[in-house]
Amino acid sequence: MNLIYLAYRNMISKPLNLVLSLLLLVLSVTLVTFILQLSKQLNGQIDKNIDPIDMVVGAKGSPLQLVLSSVLHIDVPTGNIKLDEANSIKNHPFVGSAIPVSYGDNYKGYRILGTEFAYFESYGAVLQGGRYFEKSFEAVVGSSAAKKLGLKIGDVFTSSHGLLASSTDVHEDHPYTVVGLLEPTGTVIDQLLICNLESIWDAHAHVDENHEEHPGEEHDHDHGDEEHDHESHGDEVDDHDKELEITSLLVKFKSPLGLVQLPRFINENTNMQAALPGFEIQRLMGLLGTGVTTINGIAIAILLVSGFSIFISLLKTIRERRQELALLRTYGLGTQKLLRLVLFEGLLLAFLGFLFGWLLGRLALIGASSYLESGYGYVLQIKGPDLVEFLFLGVTLLIAIVAVLLASTSIFKLNISKTLADV
Amino acid sequence: MVKTVGLNFAYPGEQSFNFPDIDLVPGEHLLLLGPSGIGKTTLLHLLSGILPASAGKIVIDTTEITALDRKSLDKFRGANVGLIFQQYHFIKSLNVDENLQLRQHFPKKIKDKERRYRLAERLGLSGQLKKKVSQLSQGQQQRLAIAQGVIHQPKVVFADEPTSNLDDTNCDNVVQLLKDEADISKSSLVIITHDQRVSQHFSNQIVL
Repeated sequence: MNLIYLAYRNMISKPLNLVLSLLLLVLSVTLVTFILQLSKQLNGQIDKNIDPIDMVVGAKGSPLQLVLSSVLHIDVPTGNIKLDEANSIKNHPFVGSAIPVSYGDNYKGYRILGTEFAYFESYGAVLQGGRYFEKSFEAVVGSSAAKKLGLKIGDVFTSSHGLLASSTDVHEDHPYTVVGLLEPTGTVIDQLLICNLESIWDAHAHVDENHEEHPGEEHDHDHGDEEHDHESHGDEVDDHDKELEITSLLVKFKSPLGLVQLPRFINENTNMQAALPGFEIQRLMGLLGTGVTTINGIAIAILLVSGFSIFISLLKTIRERRQELALLRTYGLGTQKLLRLVLFEGLLLAFLGFLFGWLLGRLALIGASSYLESGYGYVLQIKGPDLVEFLFLGVTLLIAIVAVLLASTSIFKLNISKTLADV
Repeated sequence: MVKTVGLNFAYPGEQSFNFPDIDLVPGEHLLLLGPSGIGKTTLLHLLSGILPASAGKIVIDTTEITALDRKSLDKFRGANVGLIFQQYHFIKSLNVDENLQLRQHFPKKIKDKERRYRLAERLGLSGQLKKKVSQLSQGQQQRLAIAQGVIHQPKVVFADEPTSNLDDTNCDNVVQLLKDEADISKSSLVIITHDQRVSQHFSNQIVL
């Protein structure tokens, strides 16, 4: 039976009042912790995803869209570029590595990315089991995608056209076989099904031939001939190569000079555009940052109002319990101990509010995570409190202490005799 | 045990009370009898040190409480004085047993479950220990108030009009309970009342 227990019992003696005085605090803490975590984790995850890539070269259009689609895989591509044009950039002296990527199909909403082995290296992805792809229609699967889709080595799946799971246009005649599974990397690669570039070309070449170029039955024979020619005549291979397209080229510079010269050169002299992920993402975060700041501002305002509501609630408590406080004085408790009693109650209140708010914030984060995962393949980690949140707890408790001190002035003026004699 | 000399109290701008000197030896009980409006409650508050006297001195046990500073007075009162008020005061958020625990805890930090349970048994509160105070009947609340006054075995117990709302039978019972509990706790009992029915129980009386 100590003061803290008494403070706790006092606090919960009127549950409705308790809820009322906690409501604002809970709301404010929920908002602040949720927004902080969300922006921190998204920033962290995006930074990790764009880190291996200095420049993206793709079809002309919005540079932000190009970065979002080709690097973060959360938007549709701007279009395709010619492979030989892209290859011309590869040989530029400032270019360290250039990885072509091609995509446009999905399996149950998970993107199928045609690329080269270097793509794995750039994200530091290693195999958990199996091997890397060696020929067309062999796929290496990212860890999250494998888990969600339940894919194992040896499994076969068919891609469907487009980037949405709802697509019904299935490439049934080109099934993929899973040959390798990747370790989790915490990057976008976890969400991808990766194959070689030829798989994408073959799947689409076939579609194009069937549906557009050769609609009639009698042309089927010619079609077969064409494929035969393809293999035997070098000229024709080159011709075909010129027509081959990729979605974009992911470039890592060898020299910082590349950053200065190459984007301008590409944008001015070619049909392609160059976008810098770091720059584009910074621009995007600048826009989102205003929103984050606004929400945080609102949350802080609510926090101050909640401090005021705790103050009012404690003031009311102290008035209602005047006689009990006087009684405690006759038990030998000095004014300091009574002050401590109210302080404990205020701090408990603030701590409880913070705890509930924090838990709600995490709950909201789980909700946001499942939304982001289904929409964009991003998984938010639900972690314990971080340093900023501990600081925020400190601020909350400080506000509670101020509220207690303001509310408890009447304790010092308590007239025991008169209070106890009053009915 | 309780000794007063030239005790006087004046409410600011109102009437002033002069009280007769009291000299109570340890183990003895005392009845202070007087009509309404002559400052009985005031005297009790003076004696228990929750109201500072305007003049005169009060000695309880061997301590002159009129000379103590506020902090020491709080401590002394908590340890050595038991109070039974005319209006009952309890901590409403605690149950009956917790109210008694609280009184044991401050300021001597005693934990004596057995004494609480024995006392509750003698006062007919055994079945009420886990109840909220607000669920008790008027009579049970009165007995809880008595328990609160003696649970911590104070040197002296002051009771203010403990029988004012009781019929004759209950009046006798309550006074007997008070005397018994005071004896068990080895406390001196000082009752202050206008109720003539109480006078037959006390040989030691002062008429105010």
